[in-house]
Amino acid sequence: MGKVKVKKKSTFIDMTAMSDVTVLLLTFFMLTSTFLQKEPTIVYTPSSVSEEKVPVNNLITVLISSADKAAKEGEDPLATEGKIFISFSGGLDSTQAAPYIRRKVLDNAVQVYNEQHPKDQISLNDAQKKVFAETNMLGTNFKHLPTLLSMSMGDIDKEQGDLRNPNTGIPINDNKNKDANLNDFQVWCRAIYLTAKQMHDDKALDASMTAEEAKMLEDLYNAIVKEGKGIAIKADKDTPFTTVNQVFDNLQTMALNKFSLMTALTSEDE
Amino acid sequence: MAEVQEKEGGKKKKGAQKKMTIRVDFTPMVDMNMLLITFFMLCTTMIKSQTLQITLPTNEKLEKEQQNQAKQSEAITLILDTEYKEDGLTPAADPESGKTIHNIYWYKGLPDTTFQTNLIAKERFIGDGRDANGVKAQQGIRKILRAQNTEVLAKYDEYKEIWRNKGDWQGKKMTKEVFDSLAKANAGDTLLTRPVVIIKPGPNATYESLINALDEMQINQIARYSIQLPTHVDTLMLEDYQRRHPSEHVINAPVRSENATSSNK
Repeated sequence: MGKVKVKKKSTFIDMTAMSDVTVLLLTFFMLTSTFLQKEPTIVYTPSSVSEEKVPVNNLITVLISSADKAAKEGEDPLATEGKIFISFSGGLDSTQAAPYIRRKVLDNAVQVYNEQHPKDQISLNDAQKKVFAETNMLGTNFKHLPTLLSMSMGDIDKEQGDLRNPNTGIPINDNKNKDANLNDFQVWCRAIYLTAKQMHDDKALDASMTAEEAKMLEDLYNAIVKEGKGIAIKADKDTPFTTVNQVFDNLQTMALNKFSLMTALTSEDE
Repeated sequence: MAEVQEKEGGKKKKGAQKKMTIRVDFTPMVDMNMLLITFFMLCTTMIKSQTLQITLPTNEKLEKEQQNQAKQSEAITLILDTEYKEDGLTPAADPESGKTIHNIYWYKGLPDTTFQTNLIAKERFIGDGRDANGVKAQQGIRKILRAQNTEVLAKYDEYKEIWRNKGDWQGKKMTKEVFDSLAKANAGDTLLTRPVVIIKPGPNATYESLINALDEMQINQIARYSIQLPTHVDTLMLEDYQRRHPSEHVINAPVRSENATSSNK
């Protein structure tokens, strides 16, 4: 009996076409994407019919955290609500940070804070300022700022991600006087405004500025002072209006009364 | 495809090279590409968020109060309110659409402070739908706002029709930019009768309800609106309304302490 001969077949599959497709896909994703910004908490913005795009350059985002929907038994879900974080994105695209602007804002903020609190002055060294310039989003009180900026990047993220930590979030209150008793959020607002204005008022302010940095400041001035497109508020759709309104009110007090609200696009049902 | 075959050309020479097949295995390449694609897909945002521009008045109290009184008599007031689930923590969702239920209590003109009558009516953000006969019609608060702004909307619809049909406008094809600027000028046309809307997010209102209300302003081409906090009278009116309609029980949001956000100061 003869054995049944099994024909040897090559199992080699030609992957060239597959490779072509994947490279195309990869190129597509690389070109169309912008990286997700690291944020201490996730918020789901409400949808709106407004089609205006978020300006990519020099945007200051005020993030308002939402109530903890996954709170465990015994935890107060409202404890995480209304914590405020500020981020500065700038430069050429959203993936590139604007360390220069952040540094300027920080310098101004520390100065304003020290003027407001002569007894509780804070000072930051160069290393701490550098950490701030490289962090995307930050929310803490000024007293804790030097301690936070001395930590490693990982520890900063960890502490900022813990919304129950009393040092997380920029303190805010109902102060309506734009010259005295500024709360920490208002100090940041003032610092942003001052930074935006500096370029315009005194072009020779900083001789060491590069042309690109000068342009960044000019853009910031246009965005904040002229067009009012420099500040965006990002809040969760289920956050109570009263919480969001407090931020509105503080911005109104600080004469930054033109701003945008971050929304997700929905179609006008027709 | 991934093979390169070298063919012998023309004459056979002595010591000519052997026929060679170079086959490159692309499988690892595909593996790596897939990993990269996965990485990019997970780490990126495709959709850019949209923004809604708002301009609020600065905190100059005196002027603000004077303005309000002048406007109130001819204004439409919308008091926003959000319904909550039994636990009082998360907003209740409509079982059909899955959207959060926002109630709008609205009245026109000045409130009746004697409380003999209560002009408040309750509506919701429904948007466009179909009526009993299956004809497309605006519903909910949109229908009411639309009825108040007929003159502006009639013109707006005219422009929209031209734009939709790619018709001519002053000798040229109407572009999106031309349409947008026309619509803007139309909404701000002082010669037309235009309503004034005061949006008052109540104590239970969520941020979403405000955005919804602002959206309605945009959809209905209402250029004059302001955002204010409900007055004492509004609160009393709402209580009065609920007394008159006991069946419409609404669960309230948990009470936030006055300075819940400033407690960490």
